[in-house]
Amino acid sequence: MNARRLRAFGLELWLPVVLVAVWWFASAGSTSPYFPSLQSILAQFASDWLSPSATRNLLPSLELLASGYAIAVIVGGAVGVLLGTVRALEEATRPLLEILRAIPGVAVLPLFIVLLGIELPMKIALIAFGCVWPVLLNTIDGVRGIEPLLLDVAKSYKIGAARRLTSIILPGASPQIFAGARTALAIAIIIMVVAETVGGTGGIGYFLLTAERNFAITSMWGAIVALGLLGYILNILFRLLEGGVLRWHRLLQSRLEAQL
Amino acid sequence: MIAAQAGVLFLGVLIWWAVSTQVPADGVPSPVETSGALVALAATGPFWLAVWETVQTFLIGILICIIVGVPVGLAIGRSRLATQSTRLSFDFLRTIPPIAILPLVLLLYGPTPTMVLVMVVLGAIWPIVIQSVYAANQTEPQLDDMARAFQISGWRRITTIFIPGVLPFVLTGLRVGTTICLLLTITGELLGGAPGIGSSIITAQESLNNPQMYAYVVVAALLGLIVNVGFWAAQRRVLHWHPSFRGEGQK
Repeated sequence: MNARRLRAFGLELWLPVVLVAVWWFASAGSTSPYFPSLQSILAQFASDWLSPSATRNLLPSLELLASGYAIAVIVGGAVGVLLGTVRALEEATRPLLEILRAIPGVAVLPLFIVLLGIELPMKIALIAFGCVWPVLLNTIDGVRGIEPLLLDVAKSYKIGAARRLTSIILPGASPQIFAGARTALAIAIIIMVVAETVGGTGGIGYFLLTAERNFAITSMWGAIVALGLLGYILNILFRLLEGGVLRWHRLLQSRLEAQL
Repeated sequence: MIAAQAGVLFLGVLIWWAVSTQVPADGVPSPVETSGALVALAATGPFWLAVWETVQTFLIGILICIIVGVPVGLAIGRSRLATQSTRLSFDFLRTIPPIAILPLVLLLYGPTPTMVLVMVVLGAIWPIVIQSVYAANQTEPQLDDMARAFQISGWRRITTIFIPGVLPFVLTGLRVGTTICLLLTITGELLGGAPGIGSSIITAQESLNNPQMYAYVVVAALLGLIVNVGFWAAQRRVLHWHPSFRGEGQK
């Protein structure tokens, strides 16, 4: 068993290792201004992002991302449950939702600047606006996909609305809600970078574009690495959370498959 | 129901109009001003040029993603060894925010459609590749065995078993890919300054022409709407036999 694990581990790992090694050696003596050696990129990355001063750019970004994303998930989830349960409301609002959803999140940036200024509230609102749609639409689908029999049983046992929500609707829709939240996470990071180019109060996006404008190419590459790692780490955290919350779902599915 | 839907849309416009009267100093143009600006724009050449630039970049981008991403994904998915070897790399590449490479492509190509295209392809191809790998993994070996037993071979096996089997999964990846593709096209134009709807929004903003800026945002939304509806219609047509669509007529 252990040898098999090791083999699978090696199989997954060899390509990334080879790719990084190729990058390392191919760029080693690089004199190209746009493609500095990986060694210097990593050194720059360490001094820009692994030192105590890095928090100056990292913390504002994380704060912004977390606030905007949290609002999107909460609002999207709440409105999604409402529209998912009240069918007439969902059908009536569908065209309006489809139009709002179709607006590319970054296109409303100038519009939000006019309405809310260039400070933090505008940036949070921009992220929330861009991310709310996948959560909202997936939640509607998830709620609508709940076995109607369950709701009928709950009704005939006179189970109250609050308990129906927490023990039937939310758990039933949670796999779909998570799917929407995962798409929203990727969009949130894109919009975060765009939002940070406005106003200049720090943040990874601000650092990235300032480095580009000042032709600080190695710093720019370091920021690209930082942003890539941030995306990867956030995805792993997301997967851990999802795995924890949806444990029952996976167990149920494997049990169903075992019965077949 | 259509009356209710129209009512809600009308209510939305009404709220917009109410907001526009509350915000001082022409901050938000009213729906009437915006549609006036849109009609005026529609009579000009630069407007259609900007729309065409955006549509073109988007279409070429998604086409490259499909032509490269689907075959590569399917080929990798056919082999367990290749699937395992590439899993971690794809997983990492997928999570890199595509916007991270915007400064790099901007330095390499300047504010051109090529710059946007490179970023769009590098950003939108991963969901398509990953879903294609997944699709090829999911093909049922029983169907292959059956085809072999009935001596169905070559072309017919591909068109009747392989393609219908992978299509639902590939289309899921394509839907995510198309959304990201359009978002990145507009983003690249807006931040990078390549010609198109995105940079027209900024130009209108910088010349303090708010009605025009809103008109371009409306155009971006219409474009998104057309893409979504078009995709949905195409998916319905291609997957009419699939359980997720088959049930629709019986409601």
